[in-house]
Amino acid sequence: MNIFAKLQNIDRRILYLLVALVIIIPLVRKPARHPRTIFKEVQSAYDTIQAVPNDKLVILSSYFDAGTVAENGPQVEAMMRHLFRKGTKFATVTWDPVGAELVSKIGKQVSGQMHKQYGRDWVDLGYNPGPMYVIVSGMAKDFQKVIKQDKYGTKLADISATKDVKSAKQIGTVIEVTASGTVPVWIAYFNMPNNIPLVYCPTAVMAAEAYPYLDSGQLNGMLNGVIGSAQYETLLGMGNEATYSSAASWALSTAHIFIIVLLIIGNIGYFAANRARGGRRHG
Amino acid sequence: MANWIIAHANAITIWCAAISTFAIYSVLYAENKFYRFFEHVFIGLASGYSMYITWNEVIYPKWWKLMVNDGQWYWAFAAVLGSMFYFMYSRKHAWVSRVIFGLFMGLGAGGAFREFYQIYFPQIGASMKPVVGGGMSVWDTLNIVIFYVILFASMSYFFFSFDHKSAAIKHTAMAGRWFLMIGFGAMFGATVMGRMTLFIGRFNFLVNDWFPQAKSDWSSGIFRALVSLFALALIVMIVRAIRRPKVKHE
Repeated sequence: MNIFAKLQNIDRRILYLLVALVIIIPLVRKPARHPRTIFKEVQSAYDTIQAVPNDKLVILSSYFDAGTVAENGPQVEAMMRHLFRKGTKFATVTWDPVGAELVSKIGKQVSGQMHKQYGRDWVDLGYNPGPMYVIVSGMAKDFQKVIKQDKYGTKLADISATKDVKSAKQIGTVIEVTASGTVPVWIAYFNMPNNIPLVYCPTAVMAAEAYPYLDSGQLNGMLNGVIGSAQYETLLGMGNEATYSSAASWALSTAHIFIIVLLIIGNIGYFAANRARGGRRHG
Repeated sequence: MANWIIAHANAITIWCAAISTFAIYSVLYAENKFYRFFEHVFIGLASGYSMYITWNEVIYPKWWKLMVNDGQWYWAFAAVLGSMFYFMYSRKHAWVSRVIFGLFMGLGAGGAFREFYQIYFPQIGASMKPVVGGGMSVWDTLNIVIFYVILFASMSYFFFSFDHKSAAIKHTAMAGRWFLMIGFGAMFGATVMGRMTLFIGRFNFLVNDWFPQAKSDWSSGIFRALVSLFALALIVMIVRAIRRPKVKHE
């Protein structure tokens, strides 16, 4: 077997091992430098949150589970940091039973780090089954009739952050952190009819399909996977702090460069092998 | 024992997560029983946990408590409607389940209709932008012209009602095909990025949570004995896997 044939038949286990090594290096070194290039949609997301009046509540809706926590978790964290720093109250609402626990954990961790108080600065509305049924049930008209209590069974009317939230008029923005196609439900039944901004935080797989929504103004900003959350942290002034997002963005860059190199090597092998075969045939 | 578990809860959690991660990624080497076992554990855990959360945060506070404790007896009808789904398992009475399925399908269809015009109509409007005026720069105009060229070329690829005999249609459709391929390539690139991020998430856990824990646990004699036993079991498994005759896949 010549070198060109070998290039096309590298054992996949060797490739997996090499990818793992390429990824490990940035994670061990924990680089603090965040991306300096900010995508337009990330900047729009930041500006949208920044423009929310502090007397309004932000809904931080999540629909993901342990499978995509590496992408959606940092997005939730970045959004919570911004809202806490700005002093805007928010309520987390989760549509996945496992995701409910993950979001709750992130909320407790970030609020603890930023010395924020549960009930006064944020509320955890826990798990609710299916966004469509909850939103269609009249959440915009009578918020507290549809979601009556928080995760711990306290009535929303008895919680400082939510006691004045009666309808969509008191909602400043919706942030949808998702690994599922739930954003049309928010657009069709809540955000567009009530003219409420919507910030979208999908996994990278889903991001490409969201650009028509951004162009039409149906979405007011987007965080594209973990790169979006790393850029958002730059906007929050954390550009030189070592975080998971910064390490992950470096690991992604090195992994992508490695994959491109492998693609080039594979293609060189393919064309060279074809040429060699052709040469023999004609010779 | 209980006190020991409580005192070491964090370490136990980290070790369980690390062993599960290694088990799941072991499939990258080859299909094995270690992977299969943990796959079933994951499915079982997720199902059990979902049932617990659904009862604790939805069914109990939003249905059972209202019906039993707060005297709102009419919530019992929800159980009647809900139980209608289970008639699908009876050949004789399957029609009962069709009633409730039909109700939900109607709800879904109605929702889809509203979603369609709320989602796509604004996007159609936003696509038809003027090429000049409104303080647009040359670059803005160029951007919109490129958008129109790609839009019409891509749409012409989907003219299936007649043969693409005319050179204009044929070449436009071919260009549209290329544009579509570029679009799919961009989407695939994003997919690779997403999948890689999930891998990075687990590796970050192994490098920054599990490895420091393992390093600190290494000072304990019992731990070293346990790790040695585990390593021995792993070696036996690998040797047995290697000795097993290879199955040829077609």
